[in-house]
Amino acid sequence: MNFDLDDDQRDIAAGARDFFTGSASPAAARGGLEGGRPEPGRKALADIGFLGITVPEAAGGSGRPLLDLAVVAEQGGAVLAGPSLVTAARAAVLLADQPELAAQLADGSVAFAVLDGPVDGSSPSVDAADATLFLGLDGGDLVVGEGEVVPGRPLDATRGLASVRLTSRRVLVADAGELWARARQVGAVVMAAEDLGGAERCVQLGVAYAQEREAFGRRIGSYQAVKHMLVDAWAGVDQLRSLVWWSAWAADAAPAELPLAASAAKAHAATAFERAAGTLIQVHGGIGFTWEHDAHLFWRRAKVDRLLLGDEAEHLDAVARLAVAGALGR
Amino acid sequence: MDFDDSPDEAAYRERVRTLLAEHAGELLHLAPGQEGVDARRHEAEMRRTQRVLAEGGLVGVTWPREYGGQGGTLVQQAIVAQELARARVPGLINHIGIGMCGPTVIAHGSQDQRDRYLARLLRADDVWCQLFSEPASGSDLAALRTTAVRDGEDWVVNGQKVWTTLAHVADFGILLTRTDPDRPKHAGLTMFVVDMHAPGVTVRPLRQMGGQSDFNEVFFDDVRIPDAERLGEPGEGWRVALTTLMNERVAIGGAGGDIGLPVEALVEHARERLPALDPDRQVLARQAVGRAVVAALAARYTGYRRLTVLSQGGIPGPEASAGKLAGTEAARLVADAGVRLLGDDAVYAATADGDDRWQRTQSWLPGIAIAGGTDQVLRNILGERVLGLPPEPRSDKTAPFSGGTR
Repeated sequence: MNFDLDDDQRDIAAGARDFFTGSASPAAARGGLEGGRPEPGRKALADIGFLGITVPEAAGGSGRPLLDLAVVAEQGGAVLAGPSLVTAARAAVLLADQPELAAQLADGSVAFAVLDGPVDGSSPSVDAADATLFLGLDGGDLVVGEGEVVPGRPLDATRGLASVRLTSRRVLVADAGELWARARQVGAVVMAAEDLGGAERCVQLGVAYAQEREAFGRRIGSYQAVKHMLVDAWAGVDQLRSLVWWSAWAADAAPAELPLAASAAKAHAATAFERAAGTLIQVHGGIGFTWEHDAHLFWRRAKVDRLLLGDEAEHLDAVARLAVAGALGR
Repeated sequence: MDFDDSPDEAAYRERVRTLLAEHAGELLHLAPGQEGVDARRHEAEMRRTQRVLAEGGLVGVTWPREYGGQGGTLVQQAIVAQELARARVPGLINHIGIGMCGPTVIAHGSQDQRDRYLARLLRADDVWCQLFSEPASGSDLAALRTTAVRDGEDWVVNGQKVWTTLAHVADFGILLTRTDPDRPKHAGLTMFVVDMHAPGVTVRPLRQMGGQSDFNEVFFDDVRIPDAERLGEPGEGWRVALTTLMNERVAIGGAGGDIGLPVEALVEHARERLPALDPDRQVLARQAVGRAVVAALAARYTGYRRLTVLSQGGIPGPEASAGKLAGTEAARLVADAGVRLLGDDAVYAATADGDDRWQRTQSWLPGIAIAGGTDQVLRNILGERVLGLPPEPRSDKTAPFSGGTR
């Protein structure tokens, strides 16, 4: 039993933290709501190698396990970075046997998005707003093509959500249902990792404020009503970390455990991040409800992410079905 | 990162399995569907079971060798617990002695006390209990009122303890008393080992809300305890008690063990019961099962993280409180989902064929949310010691206990 990051992964996390805090911020997420671009942006993510972490070395990537990508994604989530590493992780699975496209994913020369729902009019899909080449499931086949992009008015601008209608398509893999499902599970793990980073940041900000803000003659963090709210948010984050690590580890080391682990992580992420972001606003009182404060930017991300790649109800149902079918794991 | 046994751990696990198989005939085993044993009714078999396990080196795994333990690791301890569960051997009768009383005697007892008590405790020759809570001091343990007054070479104890698990079968207990009411509440306490068979000790079972009687109230009327049975110095009782309480939180849920019925039992139950529900109810029941499974796995894997830290030489920190808090919540969700799966039978205390384990577990969990630190006390500990939030102002820490500010 060794359920902890190793030294390499700790170094990766520290490097990612430095990179993301220097290149992205909640302020940029706020700017996105007023027409700005997501930061650090695709090129910067490609240049530092984050888009290719799980792309095979032969295709110009690092060929690393998903857990490495997850610890990086957590750091991106803490500053609401965009575009999402969900797209990189998911596309890397889908393009496992497409070295040329995988190379373009890793070096950032092509802006990919993975479409959810029908390719003739997709559901709102992550990072589709700025993408130029789309991967989708069309009649059971994995297809790639260009498309007409219809962005909506974003609740969270950092997710680059848009609906897409493919205008061209080429079959990459016939009968790709299993590959598609695995890619979506991997995407769910990485989104849970980004949510972990965002949720942990919410707790940190809430705790810091509760340590200094005073009311009725003492610091508000001394009141049990405030303290217990923050503890519950922290406990949710602490548990989410366990599920994110387990599911990311399982993707490479125990693939049979991935479906249940990924659904468990995504379901737990939905509520843990929502609770942490809601708590952050509540602890701050009125100031937490303003446009200028960062709290609503985390809250927006939480409200959007909980619905993407399957909501809590879908994943709880999947966990129950998989467990009953005998996939509970260790 | 991996979840496998190391070669050493695998060898240890194999040794444990072999031992349990070889001695299967001498050990108590749970029947299918049974999840616990009543110490009141099966005291002799439970004592025998622990003695056999102790002779095989499976009791006091983490205790130092010089006190009869195995000098082993917390991971080995976890392996023993897993293998006992796998072999359907019920929890040890002396679990409070092993988890809490023994470590307190090791840390604060005299060599004479260690020699007299520890080996017998491990073999369940003596069963131990922990006499802390009182009618007027639960979460606020330091407000206790049971007095011990020095009289020659003895102390004379008067008062009442309550919620004392195993007192009805116990031979010894660790007893927290007030020896100096004129000092502030935490400073006037002293800990003793008390002989539960001594004159003046009266044990009365308490019936819990679920109908069982696992714990007791204990009355002390002029009970004489020799000064040699003191644990730690007079007035140092609070510090001694903290040793016990720290060990308690690790023992309950700190390392990811399931509280209540294991989630595997719920999954098996769902496999049998889901098809009998109508389709609309199945959808709702799967939500409840899924939520319970996620909560249980989240608690379990978080326990694995703690266990990893401990196995690398870390010391149990206040995070152990989070394990108990999360484990209790998961256990509630598991029990609730188990009850819901019963369909129309859910409103009865048992199904038509007499299975009452889901309702019984459901009615037992409110106690778990109170025992060993209430959910609210645990949140205070986590808030103050993990998150670094300020404590609530208190007026009871410095004034003399006898002054009325309690």
